[in-house]
Amino acid sequence: MAALVVPTHRQPPAIYRLARALRWVSTIVLVVLIIYAGTVAYSAVEVARSSAQARSLSASFASNGTVEITGSFTLSNPGLYPIQGFALTARVANGAGILLGTLGVGPAEIAPSTTGVFPIALYLPVSASGPAESLLTEDQYLSVNAWGNATYAYLFPLSVSLSETRFWGAPFEGLQLSVGAPSIAGGTTTVPVTLTFANHAASADSGTITFLIESSNFVDCGGGSFSLAVPAGGFYDQTQNAVLSPGCPLAGGELLTTYSNGGGTIPLPPEALP
Amino acid sequence: MSTPRGATAVSRETGGYQVPSLGYRILVAALRLIPSFFLLVALPVAALSFVNSRGIALPISTTAVLVWGLVLLALGTVRYIAKPTRAYGPLMIATSFVSLLYLVYALGLSPYRVVVPGGSASITAGYSMFLEVAMIIPTIGILVGLLTTVEDARTPEERLPFDFPA
Repeated sequence: MAALVVPTHRQPPAIYRLARALRWVSTIVLVVLIIYAGTVAYSAVEVARSSAQARSLSASFASNGTVEITGSFTLSNPGLYPIQGFALTARVANGAGILLGTLGVGPAEIAPSTTGVFPIALYLPVSASGPAESLLTEDQYLSVNAWGNATYAYLFPLSVSLSETRFWGAPFEGLQLSVGAPSIAGGTTTVPVTLTFANHAASADSGTITFLIESSNFVDCGGGSFSLAVPAGGFYDQTQNAVLSPGCPLAGGELLTTYSNGGGTIPLPPEALP
Repeated sequence: MSTPRGATAVSRETGGYQVPSLGYRILVAALRLIPSFFLLVALPVAALSFVNSRGIALPISTTAVLVWGLVLLALGTVRYIAKPTRAYGPLMIATSFVSLLYLVYALGLSPYRVVVPGGSASITAGYSMFLEVAMIIPTIGILVGLLTTVEDARTPEERLPFDFPA
Protein backbone atom coordinates (compact mmCIF):
# COMPACT_ATOMS: atom_id res chain seq x y z
CA MET A 1 0.00 0.00 0.00
CA ALA A 2 1.29 3.42 -0.90
CA ALA A 3 1.89 5.85 1.90
CA LEU A 4 1.85 9.58 2.16
CA VAL A 5 5.16 11.14 3.02
CA VAL A 6 5.45 14.72 4.07
CA PRO A 7 8.73 16.26 2.97
CA THR A 8 10.94 16.93 5.96
CA HIS A 9 12.74 20.24 6.34
CA ARG A 10 14.41 19.67 9.64
CA GLN A 11 18.08 20.49 10.04
CA PRO A 12 20.47 17.55 9.57
CA PRO A 13 22.36 16.58 12.71
CA ALA A 14 25.71 18.29 13.31
CA ILE A 15 27.75 15.16 12.73
CA TYR A 16 26.03 14.62 9.40
CA ARG A 17 26.62 18.22 8.36
CA LEU A 18 30.30 17.94 9.29
CA ALA A 19 30.64 14.74 7.27
CA ARG A 20 28.86 16.34 4.34
CA ALA A 21 31.09 19.43 4.47
CA LEU A 22 34.18 17.23 4.53
CA ARG A 23 32.86 15.26 1.57
CA TRP A 24 32.47 18.53 -0.34
CA VAL A 25 35.99 19.59 0.53
CA SER A 26 37.27 16.20 -0.57
CA THR A 27 35.39 16.42 -3.86
CA ILE A 28 36.65 19.92 -4.55
CA VAL A 29 40.25 18.89 -3.80
CA LEU A 30 39.84 15.86 -6.07
CA VAL A 31 38.48 17.93 -8.96
CA VAL A 32 41.19 20.56 -8.53
CA LEU A 33 43.90 17.89 -8.44
CA ILE A 34 42.56 16.15 -11.54
CA ILE A 35 42.48 19.45 -13.45
CA TYR A 36 45.93 20.36 -12.10
CA ALA A 37 47.43 16.97 -13.03
CA GLY A 38 45.93 17.15 -16.50
CA THR A 39 47.20 20.65 -17.19
CA VAL A 40 50.63 19.80 -15.76
CA ALA A 41 50.88 16.78 -18.07
CA TYR A 42 49.82 18.89 -21.04
CA SER A 43 52.25 21.70 -20.15
CA ALA A 44 55.13 19.29 -19.56
CA VAL A 45 54.61 17.79 -23.01
CA GLU A 46 54.64 21.28 -24.52
CA VAL A 47 57.88 22.13 -22.72
CA ALA A 48 59.46 18.86 -23.84
CA ARG A 49 58.41 19.55 -27.42
CA SER A 50 59.98 23.01 -27.40
CA SER A 51 63.34 21.40 -26.39
CA ALA A 52 66.18 23.42 -24.90
CA GLN A 53 68.87 24.63 -27.25
CA ALA A 54 72.40 25.89 -27.00
CA ARG A 55 72.65 28.48 -29.74
CA SER A 56 75.36 30.34 -31.61
CA LEU A 57 78.28 28.76 -29.82
CA SER A 58 81.56 30.26 -30.94
CA ALA A 59 85.15 29.81 -29.88
CA SER A 60 87.69 32.61 -29.89
CA PHE A 61 91.01 33.50 -28.34
CA ALA A 62 90.67 35.86 -25.43
CA SER A 63 93.29 38.34 -24.32
CA ASN A 64 94.05 36.54 -21.08
CA GLY A 65 95.46 33.44 -22.70
CA THR A 66 92.26 31.51 -22.85
CA VAL A 67 90.02 30.00 -25.44
CA GLU A 68 86.61 31.49 -24.86
CA ILE A 69 83.54 29.51 -25.88
CA THR A 70 80.47 31.71 -25.75
CA GLY A 71 76.89 31.43 -26.78
CA SER A 72 73.46 31.26 -25.29
CA PHE A 73 71.22 28.62 -23.83
CA THR A 74 67.54 28.91 -24.62
CA LEU A 75 64.72 27.20 -22.76
CA SER A 76 61.13 27.84 -23.81
CA ASN A 77 58.25 27.41 -21.43
CA PRO A 78 55.05 27.34 -23.49
CA GLY A 79 53.20 25.61 -20.66
CA LEU A 80 50.84 26.97 -18.06
CA TYR A 81 53.15 26.73 -15.06
CA PRO A 82 56.47 28.35 -14.17
CA ILE A 83 59.83 26.64 -14.19
CA GLN A 84 61.35 27.71 -10.89
CA GLY A 85 64.89 27.53 -9.61
CA PHE A 86 66.27 26.52 -12.97
CA ALA A 87 70.03 25.99 -12.69
CA LEU A 88 72.45 24.26 -15.00
CA THR A 89 76.08 23.31 -14.50
CA ALA A 90 78.33 21.83 -17.14
CA ARG A 91 81.82 20.41 -16.90
CA VAL A 92 84.08 19.96 -19.88
CA ALA A 93 86.94 17.49 -19.84
CA ASN A 94 89.54 16.86 -22.51
CA GLY A 95 90.10 13.58 -24.33
CA ALA A 96 92.16 12.28 -21.39
CA GLY A 97 89.32 13.02 -18.98
CA ILE A 98 91.03 15.96 -17.30
CA LEU A 99 88.75 18.83 -16.32
CA LEU A 100 89.13 21.85 -18.56
CA GLY A 101 86.44 24.14 -17.21
CA THR A 102 82.94 24.54 -15.88
CA LEU A 103 80.05 26.81 -16.68
CA GLY A 104 76.87 27.62 -14.86
CA VAL A 105 73.45 29.04 -15.64
CA GLY A 106 70.87 30.34 -13.21
CA PRO A 107 69.21 29.88 -10.83
CA ALA A 108 66.36 31.59 -12.61
CA GLU A 109 62.62 31.42 -13.05
CA ILE A 110 61.01 31.00 -16.45
CA ALA A 111 57.46 32.25 -16.35
CA PRO A 112 54.68 30.53 -18.32
CA SER A 113 54.57 31.36 -22.03
CA THR A 114 58.03 32.91 -21.98
CA THR A 115 61.47 31.90 -23.14
CA GLY A 116 64.53 32.05 -20.94
CA VAL A 117 67.74 33.01 -22.73
CA PHE A 118 70.89 32.55 -20.69
CA PRO A 119 74.32 33.65 -21.86
CA ILE A 120 76.96 30.99 -21.39
CA ALA A 121 80.72 31.40 -21.39
CA LEU A 122 83.37 28.79 -20.91
CA TYR A 123 86.99 29.87 -20.51
CA LEU A 124 89.62 27.26 -21.22
CA PRO A 125 93.10 28.41 -20.15
CA VAL A 126 95.58 27.44 -22.83
CA SER A 127 98.42 29.76 -21.99
CA ALA A 128 99.99 27.59 -19.31
CA SER A 129 101.11 24.05 -19.92
CA GLY A 130 97.80 22.87 -18.49
CA PRO A 131 95.35 20.29 -19.78
CA ALA A 132 93.74 22.73 -22.17
CA GLU A 133 96.96 23.41 -24.03
CA SER A 134 96.41 20.39 -26.23
CA LEU A 135 93.24 22.03 -27.54
CA LEU A 136 95.42 24.21 -29.72
CA THR A 137 97.28 21.47 -31.52
CA GLU A 138 95.30 18.24 -31.13
CA ASP A 139 91.90 17.27 -32.44
CA GLN A 140 90.04 15.45 -29.71
CA TYR A 141 86.69 14.53 -28.32
CA LEU A 142 85.69 16.61 -25.35
CA SER A 143 83.54 15.08 -22.68
CA VAL A 144 80.63 17.34 -21.68
CA ASN A 145 78.68 16.50 -18.54
CA ALA A 146 75.78 18.72 -17.59
CA TRP A 147 73.38 18.71 -14.65
CA GLY A 148 70.25 20.78 -14.35
CA ASN A 149 67.69 21.26 -11.61
CA ALA A 150 64.33 22.96 -11.56
CA THR A 151 60.91 22.77 -9.99
CA TYR A 152 58.02 22.55 -12.41
CA ALA A 153 54.46 23.57 -11.62
CA TYR A 154 55.30 24.22 -7.94
CA LEU A 155 55.16 20.54 -6.90
CA PHE A 156 57.43 18.62 -9.26
CA PRO A 157 61.20 18.82 -8.70
CA LEU A 158 63.12 17.79 -11.80
CA SER A 159 66.74 17.06 -12.46
CA VAL A 160 68.36 16.39 -15.77
CA SER A 161 71.77 14.96 -16.45
CA LEU A 162 73.37 14.90 -19.82
CA SER A 163 76.58 13.28 -20.89
CA GLU A 164 77.99 13.49 -24.37
CA THR A 165 81.16 13.88 -26.36
CA ARG A 166 81.79 16.78 -28.70
CA PHE A 167 84.44 16.88 -31.37
CA TRP A 168 86.99 19.62 -30.94
CA GLY A 169 88.85 20.70 -34.04
CA ALA A 170 92.23 22.20 -33.10
CA PRO A 171 93.10 25.53 -34.73
CA PHE A 172 96.73 24.40 -35.11
CA GLU A 173 96.28 20.67 -35.56
CA GLY A 174 99.61 18.92 -36.05
CA LEU A 175 101.58 22.12 -35.46
CA GLN A 176 105.15 21.51 -36.47
CA LEU A 177 108.11 23.82 -36.75
CA SER A 178 111.13 22.25 -38.33
CA VAL A 179 114.57 23.75 -38.68
CA GLY A 180 116.64 22.98 -41.75
CA ALA A 181 120.37 22.98 -42.22
CA PRO A 182 122.07 26.33 -41.50
CA SER A 183 123.77 28.11 -44.37
CA ILE A 184 126.34 30.86 -44.33
CA ALA A 185 126.30 33.62 -46.85
CA GLY A 186 128.28 36.84 -46.57
CA GLY A 187 129.17 36.10 -42.97
CA THR A 188 125.55 35.71 -41.94
CA THR A 189 124.19 32.38 -40.77
CA THR A 190 120.63 31.66 -41.72
CA VAL A 191 118.44 28.66 -41.08
CA PRO A 192 115.19 27.73 -42.85
CA VAL A 193 112.26 27.31 -40.49
CA THR A 194 109.13 25.57 -41.77
CA LEU A 195 105.74 25.89 -40.12
CA THR A 196 103.00 23.41 -40.92
CA PHE A 197 99.58 22.85 -39.38
CA ALA A 198 95.95 22.37 -40.34
CA ASN A 199 93.18 24.57 -39.10
CA HIS A 200 90.45 22.21 -37.95
CA ALA A 201 88.64 24.88 -35.95
CA ALA A 202 85.36 26.38 -37.06
CA SER A 203 86.86 29.85 -37.49
CA ALA A 204 89.84 31.16 -39.45
CA ASP A 205 93.31 31.47 -37.98
CA SER A 206 94.48 35.02 -38.38
CA GLY A 207 97.31 36.83 -36.73
CA THR A 208 100.96 35.93 -36.32
CA ILE A 209 103.00 33.01 -35.08
CA THR A 210 106.28 34.22 -33.76
CA PHE A 211 109.12 31.82 -33.15
CA LEU A 212 112.28 32.15 -31.15
CA ILE A 213 115.23 29.79 -31.55
CA GLU A 214 116.75 29.19 -28.16
CA SER A 215 120.02 27.34 -27.67
CA SER A 216 120.49 24.56 -25.15
CA ASN A 217 122.04 27.10 -22.74
CA PHE A 218 118.97 29.37 -23.11
CA VAL A 219 120.57 31.94 -25.38
CA ASP A 220 118.36 33.53 -28.01
CA CYS A 221 119.83 32.59 -31.35
CA GLY A 222 117.30 34.28 -33.59
CA GLY A 223 113.71 34.24 -34.60
CA GLY A 224 111.03 35.31 -36.98
CA SER A 225 107.30 35.30 -37.54
CA PHE A 226 104.70 33.91 -39.87
CA SER A 227 101.62 35.83 -40.87
CA LEU A 228 98.50 33.73 -40.82
CA ALA A 229 95.32 33.88 -42.83
CA VAL A 230 94.18 30.29 -42.76
CA PRO A 231 90.49 29.66 -43.32
CA ALA A 232 88.62 27.01 -41.38
CA GLY A 233 89.65 23.62 -42.75
CA GLY A 234 92.73 25.11 -44.43
CA PHE A 235 96.29 23.87 -44.36
CA TYR A 236 99.38 25.98 -43.72
CA ASP A 237 102.88 25.18 -44.93
CA GLN A 238 105.39 28.01 -45.15
CA THR A 239 109.13 28.32 -44.83
CA GLN A 240 111.23 31.35 -44.07
CA ASN A 241 114.83 31.97 -43.17
CA ALA A 242 115.85 33.09 -39.73
CA VAL A 243 119.11 34.84 -39.09
CA LEU A 244 121.14 33.23 -36.35
CA SER A 245 123.48 34.93 -33.96
CA PRO A 246 127.10 34.04 -34.69
CA GLY A 247 128.25 30.85 -32.98
CA CYS A 248 124.91 30.04 -31.48
CA PRO A 249 124.64 26.26 -30.96
CA LEU A 250 121.31 24.87 -32.16
CA ALA A 251 121.71 21.27 -31.07
CA GLY A 252 119.63 20.49 -28.00
CA GLY A 253 117.88 23.83 -28.14
CA GLU A 254 114.18 24.66 -28.40
CA LEU A 255 111.85 26.48 -30.70
CA LEU A 256 109.55 28.69 -28.67
CA THR A 257 106.45 29.87 -30.46
CA THR A 258 103.65 32.21 -29.62
CA TYR A 259 100.45 32.94 -31.39
CA SER A 260 99.23 36.53 -31.45
CA ASN A 261 96.06 38.01 -32.74
CA GLY A 262 93.99 41.02 -31.91
CA GLY A 263 92.89 39.37 -28.66
CA GLY A 264 96.31 38.71 -27.16
CA THR A 265 99.27 36.36 -27.18
CA ILE A 266 99.15 32.65 -26.47
CA PRO A 267 102.24 30.46 -26.09
CA LEU A 268 102.16 27.33 -28.24
CA PRO A 269 103.83 24.07 -27.22
CA PRO A 270 107.65 24.31 -27.58
CA GLU A 271 109.51 22.03 -29.96
CA ALA A 272 112.91 20.54 -29.26
CA LEU A 273 115.63 20.97 -31.82
CA PRO A 274 117.55 17.87 -32.83
CA MET B 1 -5.40 4.59 -4.04
CA SER B 2 -4.58 7.96 -5.59
CA THR B 3 -1.77 10.17 -4.38
CA PRO B 4 -2.71 13.68 -3.32
CA ARG B 5 -0.84 16.76 -4.53
CA GLY B 6 2.29 17.58 -2.55
CA ALA B 7 2.80 14.03 -1.37
CA THR B 8 5.12 11.34 -2.62
CA ALA B 9 4.30 7.72 -3.05
CA VAL B 10 7.03 5.38 -1.94
CA SER B 11 7.37 1.66 -2.07
CA ARG B 12 8.65 1.47 1.46
CA GLU B 13 7.60 3.75 4.19
CA THR B 14 10.66 4.95 6.01
CA GLY B 15 9.46 8.10 7.61
CA GLY B 16 10.28 10.81 5.05
CA TYR B 17 12.88 9.13 2.92
CA GLN B 18 13.00 6.58 0.20
CA VAL B 19 15.75 4.00 0.06
CA PRO B 20 16.32 2.72 -3.46
CA SER B 21 15.92 -1.00 -3.86
CA LEU B 22 18.97 -3.25 -3.87
CA GLY B 23 18.54 -3.93 -7.57
CA TYR B 24 18.40 -0.23 -8.35
CA ARG B 25 21.52 0.42 -6.28
CA ILE B 26 23.37 -2.38 -8.05
CA LEU B 27 22.34 -0.93 -11.40
CA VAL B 28 23.54 2.57 -10.48
CA ALA B 29 26.75 1.17 -9.00
CA ALA B 30 27.37 -0.68 -12.26
CA LEU B 31 26.85 2.54 -14.22
CA ARG B 32 29.22 4.36 -11.88
CA LEU B 33 31.81 1.72 -12.66
CA ILE B 34 32.17 3.02 -16.21
CA PRO B 35 33.78 6.43 -15.47
CA SER B 36 35.56 5.02 -12.41
CA PHE B 37 37.08 2.22 -14.47
CA PHE B 38 38.20 4.77 -17.05
CA LEU B 39 39.84 7.00 -14.43
CA LEU B 40 41.36 4.36 -12.17
CA VAL B 41 42.33 1.62 -14.61
CA ALA B 42 41.92 2.29 -18.32
CA LEU B 43 43.55 5.73 -18.53
CA PRO B 44 46.61 4.93 -16.34
CA VAL B 45 47.18 1.56 -18.01
CA ALA B 46 46.86 3.11 -21.48
CA ALA B 47 49.31 5.90 -20.55
CA LEU B 48 51.81 3.40 -19.13
CA SER B 49 51.50 1.15 -22.17
CA PHE B 50 52.05 4.13 -24.46
CA VAL B 51 55.19 5.13 -22.57
CA ASN B 52 56.43 1.54 -22.42
CA SER B 53 55.96 1.08 -26.15
CA ARG B 54 58.47 3.88 -26.67
CA GLY B 55 61.15 2.06 -24.74
CA ILE B 56 60.90 4.18 -21.61
CA ALA B 57 61.01 2.40 -18.27
CA LEU B 58 57.79 2.67 -16.29
CA PRO B 59 57.52 4.35 -12.90
CA ILE B 60 55.00 1.71 -11.83
CA SER B 61 54.03 -1.62 -13.34
CA THR B 62 50.77 -1.90 -15.28
CA THR B 63 49.92 -4.98 -13.20
CA ALA B 64 50.15 -2.95 -10.00
CA VAL B 65 47.94 -0.21 -11.44
CA LEU B 66 45.46 -2.82 -12.61
CA VAL B 67 45.30 -4.61 -9.26
CA TRP B 68 45.08 -1.44 -7.14
CA GLY B 69 42.49 0.00 -9.51
CA LEU B 70 40.30 -3.09 -9.48
CA VAL B 71 40.45 -3.33 -5.69
CA LEU B 72 39.40 0.31 -5.37
CA LEU B 73 36.63 -0.18 -7.91
CA ALA B 74 35.29 -3.21 -6.04
CA LEU B 75 35.38 -1.40 -2.70
CA GLY B 76 33.75 1.70 -4.18
CA THR B 77 30.99 -0.35 -5.73
CA VAL B 78 30.27 -2.29 -2.56
CA ARG B 79 30.34 0.95 -0.58
CA TYR B 80 27.76 2.54 -2.85
CA ILE B 81 25.46 -0.47 -2.69
CA ALA B 82 25.79 -0.53 1.11
CA LYS B 83 25.06 3.18 1.52
CA PRO B 84 21.75 2.73 3.34
CA THR B 85 23.25 0.26 5.78
CA ARG B 86 25.49 0.56 8.81
CA ALA B 87 28.30 -0.99 6.79
CA TYR B 88 28.61 2.24 4.79
CA GLY B 89 30.89 4.02 7.28
CA PRO B 90 33.32 1.11 7.72
CA LEU B 91 33.35 0.53 3.96
CA MET B 92 34.14 4.19 3.39
CA ILE B 93 37.02 3.88 5.85
CA ALA B 94 38.25 0.74 4.09
CA THR B 95 38.04 2.33 0.62
CA SER B 96 39.83 5.46 1.77
CA PHE B 97 42.44 3.45 3.63
CA VAL B 98 43.20 1.36 0.53
CA SER B 99 43.41 4.58 -1.50
CA LEU B 100 45.85 5.93 1.05
CA LEU B 101 47.92 2.74 0.82
CA TYR B 102 47.93 3.07 -2.96
CA LEU B 103 49.30 6.59 -2.69
CA VAL B 104 51.89 5.51 -0.10
CA TYR B 105 52.93 2.71 -2.46
CA ALA B 106 53.29 5.22 -5.32
CA LEU B 107 55.15 7.58 -2.99
CA GLY B 108 57.72 4.87 -2.40
CA LEU B 109 58.43 4.79 -6.14
CA SER B 110 59.23 8.51 -6.33
CA PRO B 111 61.39 9.94 -7.79
CA TYR B 112 60.96 8.54 -11.24
CA ARG B 113 64.12 8.34 -13.29
CA VAL B 114 63.87 7.90 -16.99
CA VAL B 115 66.84 7.38 -19.28
CA VAL B 116 66.34 8.90 -22.68
CA PRO B 117 66.69 6.17 -25.33
CA GLY B 118 70.32 6.26 -26.39
CA GLY B 119 71.49 6.59 -22.82
CA SER B 120 73.16 10.01 -23.03
CA ALA B 121 70.61 11.82 -20.88
CA SER B 122 68.42 11.03 -17.94
CA ILE B 123 65.57 12.89 -16.33
CA THR B 124 64.54 12.45 -12.72
CA ALA B 125 61.12 13.69 -11.71
CA GLY B 126 59.93 13.81 -8.14
CA TYR B 127 56.20 13.66 -7.49
CA SER B 128 56.19 13.17 -3.74
CA MET B 129 54.72 16.58 -3.01
CA PHE B 130 51.85 16.01 -5.43
CA LEU B 131 51.04 12.65 -3.86
CA GLU B 132 51.24 14.14 -0.39
CA VAL B 133 48.68 16.75 -1.41
CA ALA B 134 46.55 14.01 -2.99
CA MET B 135 46.60 12.15 0.34
CA ILE B 136 44.28 14.83 1.66
CA ILE B 137 41.42 13.13 -0.19
CA PRO B 138 41.57 9.64 1.37
CA THR B 139 42.42 11.18 4.73
CA ILE B 140 39.22 13.16 4.57
CA GLY B 141 37.46 9.99 3.40
CA ILE B 142 38.61 8.16 6.52
CA LEU B 143 37.37 11.04 8.68
CA VAL B 144 34.00 11.03 6.94
CA GLY B 145 33.81 7.25 7.33
CA LEU B 146 34.54 7.55 11.04
CA LEU B 147 31.88 10.23 11.46
CA THR B 148 29.34 8.16 9.54
CA THR B 149 30.17 5.05 11.58
CA VAL B 150 29.76 6.97 14.83
CA GLU B 151 26.51 8.52 13.62
CA ASP B 152 25.12 5.14 12.55
CA ALA B 153 26.12 3.61 15.86
CA ARG B 154 24.55 6.37 17.93
CA THR B 155 21.37 6.91 15.99
CA PRO B 156 20.83 4.26 13.30
CA GLU B 157 19.12 5.50 10.14
CA GLU B 158 19.34 9.10 11.30
CA ARG B 159 21.17 10.10 8.12
CA LEU B 160 18.86 8.23 5.74
CA PRO B 161 16.28 11.05 5.28
CA PHE B 162 19.14 13.28 4.15
CA ASP B 163 20.97 10.71 2.06
CA PHE B 164 17.77 9.46 0.41
CA PRO B 165 15.21 12.24 0.61
CA ALA B 166 11.80 11.22 -0.58
